[in-house]
Amino acid sequence: MRNLIAFLRRFQIFLVFASLQIISLVIYVQFLSFPRSQYLTTASNVTAKVLTWENDVTKHFDLSKNNYALQRENIRLRERLPEFMYTLSAGKVKVEDTIFKQQYTYIPGMVINSSVTRRNNYFTLNIGSKQGVKPNMGVFSDKGVVGIVHNTSEHYCVVKSVLTKDINVDVIIEPIHLAGILKWDGHDPRRGSIDGISNDLRIKKWSRVITRGGSGIFPKGIPVGKVERIESIEGEPLWNVVVRYSEDYRTLQRVYVVKNVMIEEQQALEGQIPPDEEEDVLR
Amino acid sequence: MNNLTKNIIRFIVFAVLQTLIFNQLEIGYGFHLMIHPLFIMLLPFEMGVISLMGLAFLMGIIIDIFSNTYGLHASSLVMMAYFRPLVFKFYGPREGYDPLKEPNVFDMGNRWFTYVFGILLLIHHLWYFLVEIFQFNQILFILQKTIFSAVPSFLICLLLQSFLIKKSKTK
Repeated sequence: MRNLIAFLRRFQIFLVFASLQIISLVIYVQFLSFPRSQYLTTASNVTAKVLTWENDVTKHFDLSKNNYALQRENIRLRERLPEFMYTLSAGKVKVEDTIFKQQYTYIPGMVINSSVTRRNNYFTLNIGSKQGVKPNMGVFSDKGVVGIVHNTSEHYCVVKSVLTKDINVDVIIEPIHLAGILKWDGHDPRRGSIDGISNDLRIKKWSRVITRGGSGIFPKGIPVGKVERIESIEGEPLWNVVVRYSEDYRTLQRVYVVKNVMIEEQQALEGQIPPDEEEDVLR
Repeated sequence: MNNLTKNIIRFIVFAVLQTLIFNQLEIGYGFHLMIHPLFIMLLPFEMGVISLMGLAFLMGIIIDIFSNTYGLHASSLVMMAYFRPLVFKFYGPREGYDPLKEPNVFDMGNRWFTYVFGILLLIHHLWYFLVEIFQFNQILFILQKTIFSAVPSFLICLLLQSFLIKKSKTK
């Protein structure tokens, strides 16, 4: 016993050092994949409040650009209104619509804190569980896909952006509907890459990349970017497709959170499939 | 102003500066400005390693909460605090440090400060990016980020001292 105390006293400094390191690294690894509480993230109330004050000052820096983007989006939507179209057939019949049912609804939000230069970048939004935001909902802006909700509190939420290590959004390259998984290597916030595309397929440069909408997190067809480069990977029969994002995440402000009304139905159905040996990370 | 209140005020000032200003400055190309290591550096000479590491952990967790890095800053600041007495001992004068002085650039001179703070900052940044990226085939990228972030951080820390320390002397 005395030896033990002598040992502890002798290595006291190193033991404190090691335990603090272990605590912080365990928090880091756990929160990276699944945050157990909101208190160590920017979704917590105090942190988000301070960041909101900060954002109240800095949001005006990009005001004219954002207004312009919203205006353009308004024009696009207004063009679809029936009042803005020339009626070709005179006698219009109103039909009670039984073919289409609303599957996705959207919750508007604003980015109050963001980063783009780290290995894993998160955005904090000013909407939370009170507005109906839940973890694993998709987030996009008028120009492109943004990320997936990671953690929520009552009034705020943290979004794991497409600029993180294992975001794995499933996307398709448009004209031939090639499915792949979007990844980010941590170098450039303007470019990502698509994994899992066999190198016997021909891909045209500058073809559009959109979301596939496979697992109900995103609706199909939200723009991601354009194919900028196609590189071969050494030793593997796969292409490394470099995508240039259509959204500039460095100046992102207004976003929409996707709420899929039928996600529970889809997940209950897909939960009946027996689990695979390989880990399924498709989103 | 006594030492304790001075250091409490410094703690708040560094946390606010880092979270609300330097975290938001994103230049790209691996530049990542971190000034909170300067707080650990400026703590008094006679402080024990354990309390140093405790303060470093607290500071790191606060920065982490504001930047969604979940313990990454805490880990690297504790690392730096652990190495601080070792580096101080290595570069210290033979008769030991004068307890009335403070480890800043004005009291200890440019040469001493550059060596000691440079080494500590490199340790801090290297550990931070090693854990953040955690891929050994990207070691060049890690080193590039370390150098690109440590050099501007060091210069800004030099500048900040002339704002923060001279003021505390006149009061």
